[in-house]
Parts: sequence; C-alpha cells; structure tokens
Amino acid sequence: MTVKLSVAARAVPSLGLRAGVSVASLLAAGAVGGAVLVVAGNDPLEAYRTMIDASVNGWRPLTRTLTLATPLILTGLAAAVAFRMRIWNIGAEGQLYMGAVAASGLAVALPAGAPKPLMLLVVLLAGMAAGAVWAGLAAVPKACFNTDEVITTLMLNFVALSFMNYLIFGSVSFWRDPAATFPEGKPIPASAELPVISHRLHYGIAVAAAAAVFLWWALRRTSWGFELRAIGDSRPAARYAGIRVRTKVLSVLALSGGLAGLAGAIEISGVIKSLEPRAVATELGFTGIVVAAVARLNPLAVLPVAAFLAAVVTSGSRLQRIGIESEIVFLLQGLIFLFVAAGDFFLANKVTLARRADQSQAPVLAEAGRGSPSGE
Amino acid sequence: MNDSVLILSIVSAVAAGTPILFAALGEIMAERSGVMNLGVEGMMLVGGVTGFWTGVQTESLVLALAAGALAGGALSLVHAVLAVSLKVNQIVSGLALVIVGSGLSSFWGNSGDSPLIQRQPGVNVEPLLPAALRDLPGVGPILFGHDAIVYLSWLVVAGAGYFLFRTTPGLALRAVGEDPAAADAAGLSVTRIRYLFTVLGGLGAGFGGAYLAVAVLRTWQAGMTAGAGWIAVAMVILAGWRPWFALAAAYAFGALRNLGFTLQIAGVDVPSDFLNMIPFVATFIVVVLVSANPARARKIAGPAALGEPYSRESR
Repeated sequence: MTVKLSVAARAVPSLGLRAGVSVASLLAAGAVGGAVLVVAGNDPLEAYRTMIDASVNGWRPLTRTLTLATPLILTGLAAAVAFRMRIWNIGAEGQLYMGAVAASGLAVALPAGAPKPLMLLVVLLAGMAAGAVWAGLAAVPKACFNTDEVITTLMLNFVALSFMNYLIFGSVSFWRDPAATFPEGKPIPASAELPVISHRLHYGIAVAAAAAVFLWWALRRTSWGFELRAIGDSRPAARYAGIRVRTKVLSVLALSGGLAGLAGAIEISGVIKSLEPRAVATELGFTGIVVAAVARLNPLAVLPVAAFLAAVVTSGSRLQRIGIESEIVFLLQGLIFLFVAAGDFFLANKVTLARRADQSQAPVLAEAGRGSPSGE
Repeated sequence: MNDSVLILSIVSAVAAGTPILFAALGEIMAERSGVMNLGVEGMMLVGGVTGFWTGVQTESLVLALAAGALAGGALSLVHAVLAVSLKVNQIVSGLALVIVGSGLSSFWGNSGDSPLIQRQPGVNVEPLLPAALRDLPGVGPILFGHDAIVYLSWLVVAGAGYFLFRTTPGLALRAVGEDPAAADAAGLSVTRIRYLFTVLGGLGAGFGGAYLAVAVLRTWQAGMTAGAGWIAVAMVILAGWRPWFALAAAYAFGALRNLGFTLQIAGVDVPSDFLNMIPFVATFIVVVLVSANPARARKIAGPAALGEPYSRESR
C-alpha cells in the first residue's frame, strides 16, 4: 500500500482557510527564524519576547512602529494596486526616491514663509507626481509595445538611486547644503514639515490610512476598480468585454508610482527633513511588495500587515542591545514573505494524503492544477 | 593616458567582471529553462558569506568556492520548489530570495564573538601561469596574469555556449524554456529540467559571490555585493541569453567600474553616478527596443515561456 499526495484545484478558499494558512505561514517563518537563532547560540523565545516588547509594548514603541508603518502602507498599496491587475511594478523603490527628490526640492525652493497647509499640499503632490512620472517611463512602453515591466521598473530603481546619490554626493546641486562640511541635503523649512502626533509619529499615518481606505473603495465600488480587477482576472476576457487595457495600464502604473512617490515625500516631510540618500534608500519600496503579498493585495489588509512588518523591523535595535544581531529581523521578514508565497499554493489547491489502491489513477493526481500566474 | 594605465584598467575590469560573469552564466541557464530567478543578489550574498567563512576555517580556496556555490544552490532549490512545484509567482519568489539571502548573510557575518567582518579571507589567490609569460609586455598581464578562476570562467563560457547550441541536452533545455507543452509531449520532464537548471543557476551565483568575497574584495561586509546580483540579472538580457555575449558584457561592466578613474586621468570628468547608471539604462533601452519590434528582435529576445509555471492540466 502506498500513500500519495493528491493535489486538486480549489475554487474559492474560505475565510477560515485563508486565516489558517496565513497563521501557519507566520508560525513556519517564526520556527525557521528561531532555528537560525538557536544555531547562532541565541534564545529564540527571549528574542521574540524582546521584539514584542520593543515594538508594541507601550506608547513610545508603538509610535516608532507606526512611524515606520507609514511609508510601508503606501508602498504596500503601490504594489497591491498594480499586482491586482497583474502589472508587476517592482519599481516602487525608485519611484519613492524620485518622490523624495521632488518633495525635498520643492520644499527648499518655495518661500519658507508660505502657509503650512499650502506648502504641505504642494510638497506631497510633487512627490506623487514625480513617482507617477517615473513609473510612467515603464508604463508608456508597456502600453505601447507590451514591454516587460518587471525588467523596466527594476532597472529604473537603480537609475533613480544613482540620480539621487549624484544630487548629494556627486555634485553641489541645488539639493545639497553648501554650508555643511559633509555632503548632505539642505534642511527643509518648518512650514514643509508634517505636524507631529507624538514622539516621532506624524500625521503622515493619517494620509496613508486614508489612501488605503480610498483605494479599497475605488477597487470595490467604482467602474475603474471593476475594470482593473477584470483585467487582473483575465486580460483576454476584459479586452473582449471592451475594456481599454492600454489606458488602464497607464492609469494603474501612474497611481502605483504616485503612491510610492507619496511615501518618499512623506518620509522627507515627516521623518528625514532633508534629502539624505542613505536615509531614503532603506528598501521601503521592496518591503512594500512583501506587505502587499502578505496582505494578499487587499488594501485594507495592508494597514495591519504594514504595522506588523514595521514592528518586526523596528525591534532590531533592541535585539542588538541584548546581544542578538539585529539583521535577524530582515531574515524574519524574508521568511514571512517566502512562507506566505508558498501558502498561496495551499489556498489555490486542495492537498490531501490519500491511500493509493489503483495505479492507473496516479498520473491524474500527480499534477498540480492551477492556472498559470504568468509574467504577462 | 599611458599604456600601463590602460593595461591596469583592463586587468581590473576582468577581476571586477568575473564574479558577475559566473552569476550571469548561472542565470542564463536557469532562464533558458523558463525559470526567472530574480534572487541572484541574495544567492550571491549567501555564497559570499559561506565562501568567506569556509575560507577562514579551512584556508582552502577550492573548499571556499565550493561551499559558496553549494550555499547558492541550496537557496535556489527553495526557488525551484516554489516556482516549479508550487507554481508560485516567480517574481515574488525571487524577491523573497533576495530578502532572505541578504538577511541571512548579514546575520551570519555579523554574529558571534569573532564576526567575519573583522577577519582576513584566509586564502590567497595566486596568478596561475609562470612569471615568464605574465611579464610579456602588453599581452602578458592581460592574457596570462589572471588567477585560475578567471581561466575557469572562460572554460565555463565555452562549455555553456557549446552545451546550449550544439548538444541534444542543450536543445532539450531550450525547448523547455520556449515551449514546455511541446517539450512535455516530446517526452522531456519539464519539472526535472527546470529543477536542475534553476539549481545550476544558484550554484553559479553562489560561486560568483564566494569568488567576489575571497578573491576580489578579500573582505566580508553586510551587503558586500552592492547590487552585483542585479547587474547579473540585467546582463542576462543585455547578452541575449548567450554565454559569449555575457562574457563581453561582464568585462564591459568591469571596465565601467574603473572608467571614471581612467577618464579623470585623461582629463575628462564624468560623474561616477552617471557611469553607474549605464548597465541599467542600457538594459532598459534593449528591453524596450526588443519589445517594440518583436519580429526583427526575435534572435535576442528571451525564452518564450520565461516566468510562466507549467502544469499539464492548464494548457
């Protein structure tokens, strides 16, 4: 008697199953991360207790977590909205840089005495516009020639990084502070700073949360969102139904880039307060892809997921203090990403252990049945 | 600009290009089977930390490079399971590999009482050929002055080119990447071939990362690849998925690294940030041009089924 794994396609996973798979993915990531800690001679339980302590236990740790969650919500939404239409924008990183460049440039260029609401509006909109334009560099070839956006958006990340570095480290540009000894950006005026809620937490979190709710509404309740989801489910069917896919590619990538650019502007205006490339380039864009994947592309789920991943990352410095190398938090983040991605398989397929009596059934059961989520 | 500067920049271009060449060759093989692995940067970092650690422990270059390659291969096996068996989106899985690889390598390298970051590599990399050849004017340093690994890379390029375009298994590999359904019908195991070459890609990236750490940089630090893995991904496209073109592209990239310095000696001041953009801008342009004219660009376009999971039922 042999035991065989049988795999069959599943129609729509139930809510309980989705929750179960998500929890199992997190537990698996925690277990593997814990094993790495044990091998390195650390106590994983102490590490996890410290991480909870450092990120959510008390108001001050909570504000630190939410401060980091703010840009992650926006880059998570940027990935979620594009991925929902099967547009693989992995350029949020570069779009965020360009948003930061535009926001810091305008903040320094405009008269410092300008009224704060006006100043903030201009600075944040400039960040959005710059991110949208940078995404547009990939969106236009995608719309015209169906150019693979995975590669174009990825390449633009590195171009944007070099450009931002050039403005501060490679030249005495308008952005660079001529008075400073070391290369650094000009500080933005107080009128361009987002107001503070408590400690370092600023009102950018409200903007990010509003963006999540707005996007959820737009995807669910507008014809724009309906068409976007239709294209994501089946591009040929959507085209047959008369949906104009090209214009949708442009608008979705512009929105995605705009959200990432807004994240860059909010980081400048709320946290960094000058164009400091090393503070801007902290992989917030790439982490947004993790956020979107863990949130399974649901804009409302992006909110708690971004907070959760921010909590993981922000606790690194406390771990360092008790003698555990802080880089473990990035490993944990990657493991969560990996196991959540693997969990998708179990949502799409029903896997059971079956006793195999008849040899002839084997070929049918052996193959996994799942539609191909292609790069298209 | 005098000749010695030129010779020196060619020699250092080869050194800087070799780790990326190994990674790009591996990725070419993986992508030829239809599996895109964006995790090259993560696999190089894991290969680098493993190779460096092994070098410190064993003082053996061969063991260091082998351990680095195996570590990269192990990580790519994760990608193979996710992308081939579980049919997870390959972009997502590849990016996950980057995050896991960079987190794991930084954690390992910085941990412990005597972290790798403070260590010497433990192994020396010597030129392979006798001094009489190396000291020949001009061609000596350029052709004969390298270590054994550089010559190995030339052999690997020649072998990979021959394998891909002149052998039956090479044809099978390309068939799986172009049209897995047809390859399946012809009796090839799509799953086995994709697993095999995805892992081969990881071995190449891990080997390249280990060589970068122990021979080129001769030191370990977190994120030591500094984007070399991403350049390898770009280079696969620039090279049109061809090993010989990858060799040329890798050395051209190596030359770019020193070009700013060389140009400065020649009295031309081009900011290094703009030179850094060149591989990425070039790849961007190539991808757009190829897609704008797919019929004429067919020869340098990628495998038709690149990035698409294959399952018999959903044909």
